[in-house]
Amino acid sequence: MEKGIIFSIEEFAIHDGPGIRTNVFLKGCPLRCVWCHNPEGISPYPQYFTKKDERTICGYEITSDDLANQLLKNKEIYKYDKGGVTLTGGEPLFQPMFVIDLLKKIRPEIHTAIETSGYANSDIFQKVISQLDYVLFDIKQTDTVLHKKYTGVGNELILKNLEILCSSDIDFVIRIPLIPGVNDTKENMLNILSRIEGAKFLKRVELLRYHKTAGAKYSMIGKQYNPPFDVNRKPAIYNVFESNHIKTIIL
Amino acid sequence: MNPRISHLRDYILNKEHHVYRRSLTELGIANMNETFAREGVHPVRRSAESLSAMLKMEKPIILPGEKIVFTRTIDDIPAIYTPEEWDRIKKEHYIHERGTVCNISPDYETTIKLGLDARKNEVEEKLKHLSVEDVEGEIFLESVLICISSLQDLIGRYEVYARSIGEEDTASVLEAIKTRGATSFREALQLLRILHFSIWEASNYHNTLGRFDQYMYPYYKNDIEKGVITSEEAFDLVEEFFLMCNKDSDLYPGMQQGDNGQSMVLGGRDMNGTYLFNELSQMCLQASYELELIDPKINIRVDKDTPDEIFERGSRLTKKGLGFPQYSNDDVVIPGLIRKGYEKEDAYNYVVAACWEFIIPKYGMDIPNIDAISLLGCVRDCLDDLGSCKDYDSFYKCVERKIQAEVDRICIKHKNLYIIPSPMMSLLMAGTIERARDISLGSKYNNYGIHGTGIAPATDSLAAIKKYYFEEKRFDYQTLMMAINTNFENNPQLKELLRKKAPKMGQDDDYVDSICTVLLDSFDKALDGKVNERGGIYRGGTGTAMYYIFHANNLGATPDGRLAGEMIPANYSPSLFINQKGPISVIKSFTKPHLVNVINGGPLTLEFDQSVFNNDESIKKLGMLVKTYIKLGGHQLQLNTVSKEKLLDAKVHPEKYKHLIVRVWGWSGYFVELDECYQDHVINRIEFGL
Repeated sequence: MEKGIIFSIEEFAIHDGPGIRTNVFLKGCPLRCVWCHNPEGISPYPQYFTKKDERTICGYEITSDDLANQLLKNKEIYKYDKGGVTLTGGEPLFQPMFVIDLLKKIRPEIHTAIETSGYANSDIFQKVISQLDYVLFDIKQTDTVLHKKYTGVGNELILKNLEILCSSDIDFVIRIPLIPGVNDTKENMLNILSRIEGAKFLKRVELLRYHKTAGAKYSMIGKQYNPPFDVNRKPAIYNVFESNHIKTIIL
Repeated sequence: MNPRISHLRDYILNKEHHVYRRSLTELGIANMNETFAREGVHPVRRSAESLSAMLKMEKPIILPGEKIVFTRTIDDIPAIYTPEEWDRIKKEHYIHERGTVCNISPDYETTIKLGLDARKNEVEEKLKHLSVEDVEGEIFLESVLICISSLQDLIGRYEVYARSIGEEDTASVLEAIKTRGATSFREALQLLRILHFSIWEASNYHNTLGRFDQYMYPYYKNDIEKGVITSEEAFDLVEEFFLMCNKDSDLYPGMQQGDNGQSMVLGGRDMNGTYLFNELSQMCLQASYELELIDPKINIRVDKDTPDEIFERGSRLTKKGLGFPQYSNDDVVIPGLIRKGYEKEDAYNYVVAACWEFIIPKYGMDIPNIDAISLLGCVRDCLDDLGSCKDYDSFYKCVERKIQAEVDRICIKHKNLYIIPSPMMSLLMAGTIERARDISLGSKYNNYGIHGTGIAPATDSLAAIKKYYFEEKRFDYQTLMMAINTNFENNPQLKELLRKKAPKMGQDDDYVDSICTVLLDSFDKALDGKVNERGGIYRGGTGTAMYYIFHANNLGATPDGRLAGEMIPANYSPSLFINQKGPISVIKSFTKPHLVNVINGGPLTLEFDQSVFNNDESIKKLGMLVKTYIKLGGHQLQLNTVSKEKLLDAKVHPEKYKHLIVRVWGWSGYFVELDECYQDHVINRIEFGL
């Protein structure tokens, strides 16, 4: 049986896939996005977390059986609420064997979704998405150099997996975080559009505006938040998707 | 909202109509009680004459743009007894709250339909056939006639005034309903306004509005079908009627400003299985949404088959942060009422009282808030016996005995109840004319309701004792008692264990939740077979009203890790120390007990941060959550949207938040007008963010 490290299970998630969902946050992420708002999800290991002078451990090991049983407890509720479970993080594909094992145990009773940066080996990506009902796929930047500059990694794998996703038969959503002065250009939006246009199972695009409360958790894990952009500036919104008949929501 | 309503709303919120108010002394009607006492006037007649004097002194006022008239111009209600008389009565009787008829659901429908003249004839007819020995009956019926005539007289003066300022339409409406029943939606609303106005003026309070969307619907439908009004015009009138409920409400008595009991119930299923939500129900939700005022307080009767759309509409209103709609579940409430002896037809017609107690319109003279038992207090009181209990079951038996003893003690208290008569309210309740007896003496249903405070902390305390003391033996009796008696000062580690680590109701943990099921069943069982002096039964409930403050203030430290005097949650809600798993776990836990057995009412309250509802999709999902609670068998649900930052700021800068509305225990009020202890409680409640 596989074991994984998670740092939170949150009920009544209403922004991460259809219906009312439960989000499972998996620990560990290969990216280092400068705007990351879940910095406690980056390290793959449990770590201290201090909130209001109270120190707790963020992250714990759990077996796929235990987690599956916890999630299955609410399978009826997910049916009532046309929802399910969304795996997020961190980067869930960072613990692929655990994810695959878990999905096997909770499907098909539970509608399953993943929120991913798409940064993973394509074999793994393909294998995981074949076990899913829904994918929330993040795209930050189509330019490889800029991607590396702001997230610490290149985007070759991500773009390749995006191609796989676009030609698959799985419902998916494209999520674009809009970071002021980093990726909120019309050019970037048009480039993203050209890569997703025509995908049959694309449900919509979600534009997630940067919010300055994103930095709140850094001090709690003993880190400093020094983003190389103006946190007080509102990101520019170039909604090139709606005009190309792709449903778009701005969150 | 059209400009007329918008102007009227500003006018009322700016309290401009307060300039017309005069005091009792100014009007020379402050001391009628002395005359009554001197002349030995019968109490029923005193009530009628007092109301009559008030109505005579009311000055017809029409606010700019008003179509539905009647404004209070007297700022107080005179007492009918002298202080000496009242002291004597209090010595000899049990007095509930202020002593006047309150918290019932009047039958406006009959009088709106038949008209005041027809009601007068009915009373006169009864008088003619009354046996000569029935002196009480005669006084009562004559008193009702005084009320009707005085009311007709004031309507007449309003009519003359309306005509004198060129308000011909209003004058015609008043002229018509002075004598006969309403024939149009506007007439029906005007007569409803007058009847509602008059019971407040008769010193009755917590005067609910009942199933407005049902009893007003025939007038609405008829007007629309005949083309008398458009639906836009009808909507304007609904909005205006809602505004009227906020016009004099600062004069209505309650525990706090806002606690005035103007609840309205929409929807519900009838005995044939038809769901009764209609265009008028929808207009009520919309009016409330647009006006953003605390009255009337909206309740929606729903069940497992209620269309999703209704829950969505309700959620849109929830987003406004007014603290309503509140939901009640017909699938649980109706069988629960029938179980307690209510006739099927009446149970299907249930409404909520001022806060959430389930009552029956027209026929119910229940006192659903006569008292409260502290369930957490019962658990604490049994700690002395804990040392001699060999296992959890024997300890729980002590708790059960304690609950029984408390219930026995409480039920004895309500002997020789006295309620100040109200011939005016009597006119609006079924059977009073036929019986020739005042409603204060009772009606078809005379049941008493007992709130149960501290349900979740009592459950948590029992769970902690069961798990840590009996099963895991983590501490011995002396250790626990030392900690409780020193308010945990000697043992902060134990406090942390009990407060933070121990299982809590609301985490979807059967271990704890099943304890609550047993606890509530014990509460119900303790009340079983109790009969009050009016022949009514006792009903247990999950509400707290303000008792959650009283009971917590006087209670020492408890085994859930709570310190002496520390708050407990209001109504049927999780502990304030719970390690939240989320609202799904909360609703699962709180729907496990047999809620059909605790039918006095009292909602689960869920608090949400305002950020949750930032788009239509999330509002829809909130509606789904509500429906899930109903499907799982929840009885009643209240949802609040608050932002903690906003509330904290409002405490510091009240001037910036004059119109900020929050839900307190069973009613919504203006935050800045609440006492600090209630403000703090609202701030400290558990809130779900994202």
